[in-house]
Amino acid sequence: MKLIKKGAEGDLYLTTWNKQKSILKIRKKKAYRNPLLDEKIRRQRTIRESQIIVEAKSFGIDTPLIYLVDIKNCSIVMQYIEGTLVRDLPDSKLVRCCNKIGCIVGTLHKNGIMHGDLTTSNFILSKNKLVTIDFGLANKTSKPEDHAVDLRLLKEILGSAHVHIMKKTWASFLSGYKAIVGSTRLAQVTNLVSVIESRGRYATVV
Amino acid sequence: MLCLGIESTAHTFACAVVEKNGKIHSDVRKIYRPPDGEGIHPREASRHHIESSANVLVDSLQQARIKIKDLDIIAYAAGPGLGPCLRVGAVVARSLSSYYKIPLYPVHHAIGHIDLGKLLTGAKDPFVLLVSGGHTMLLAFMKGKWRVFGETLDITLGQLLDQFGRSIGFASPCGKNIEELAAKTSTYIQLPYVVKGNDVSFSGLLSATKSISSQKEKACFSLQETAFAMISEATERALSFTKKKELMIVGGVAANKRLSNMLKSICKRQNCKFYVVPQQFAGDCGPQIAWTGLLEATAKKGSALEDAFVKQSWRLDSVNIDY
Repeated sequence: MKLIKKGAEGDLYLTTWNKQKSILKIRKKKAYRNPLLDEKIRRQRTIRESQIIVEAKSFGIDTPLIYLVDIKNCSIVMQYIEGTLVRDLPDSKLVRCCNKIGCIVGTLHKNGIMHGDLTTSNFILSKNKLVTIDFGLANKTSKPEDHAVDLRLLKEILGSAHVHIMKKTWASFLSGYKAIVGSTRLAQVTNLVSVIESRGRYATVV
Repeated sequence: MLCLGIESTAHTFACAVVEKNGKIHSDVRKIYRPPDGEGIHPREASRHHIESSANVLVDSLQQARIKIKDLDIIAYAAGPGLGPCLRVGAVVARSLSSYYKIPLYPVHHAIGHIDLGKLLTGAKDPFVLLVSGGHTMLLAFMKGKWRVFGETLDITLGQLLDQFGRSIGFASPCGKNIEELAAKTSTYIQLPYVVKGNDVSFSGLLSATKSISSQKEKACFSLQETAFAMISEATERALSFTKKKELMIVGGVAANKRLSNMLKSICKRQNCKFYVVPQQFAGDCGPQIAWTGLLEATAKKGSALEDAFVKQSWRLDSVNIDY
């Protein structure tokens, strides 16, 4: 097995499953974390990620196929997705992808799921399909506040890592999102995004 | 070139003389201590600053063996912070500047933390974790500004420790007291763990910890374990996203050993260099202001007297860095 990425959550290995190229994602123990806390986090996220990846598929979101879940070792074997991370795409393509990301996030929200870690490195462009990965922080919720947290995180990433095309990518995302959830819901959620932003340190003038 | 840095954003009134080559000639501080169990009272703190200002200034010049006229520029912390406290530093800076005709530089307090950290640790292009009473932010420098990759959605790590510390009878800043109590046990009580992508939220954790505060040591231990694991996870996420090869931790909470050990372990995993600002300069101090002032002086002229205001709310990612 070849280690292909040491992520913040877990390590990704390239492996084979039923002769198919696949990914083993294993959430290893983190020595710096208290063992009780560590065990709970790793277990909970492994279960949640595998469940929600499958559920998202049921309403048409492209996600990797899950082959095996090992709760004891906190590992998941899943389909290997060939392609490029949206983060690493050239600017014009990235802007277009943000529209599709908007549709995906809208669909997830409409079906009561928040992704929890919406960054441009959690979408893979694979043969004209946009595949959503990394559901470790996902949650089942229909609360507009939770959905706003999703949007805010993406906005933060667009405004930092992709700041030179922030306006275009954000507008592109919102138009995709609106197409799915409708303008009333969009207004409600973006309003809450502003509320969350205003809670940030020194965001508003005293 | 010599710069006098004046810091007065919160509990500390400090003056320092720093030279352009990075040598710190003097560093004098006076810290306002509220009564046990209470936080900083802005009026009382500013009174403390007013009463200390002359002595601190004179001491800092004497320690550096210079006269006011030897100064080339004056920098003061213009924000963010407590209004009454900020104004004390600003008044001292403006008075000196106008009387002795020395160029004046208003600087951002937290950028001072980062710049001084870079000077003292030698980090070149670090990913920064800024943890203090006023900030909890994950930052990377890109296109002329420090960009926020993650932050707290409510209170800061410093506030979390201080507010809990005060509720069990300590006086702010209480990080050290909590660290000492926590070291006495290793019994972990489960507390809410809230990480949202690269962001964290501490307010629920504060309430939950208060509810177990009768077991002081266990509460302190569990609070530290949970809060530091949260910020460490957020840091690791952002670090892995930006692919930076250096991590630097600055701000008052950087003095905490448990936190820096956790981050060290992350850096080992992510194969990146770890820098922590020396403990002596982790808290608010004059050199951070003086050094940022010197850096700004390389890129622009001093501020006009009428523009030398204070800004209580001043977001770090709104500051243009020209040097």
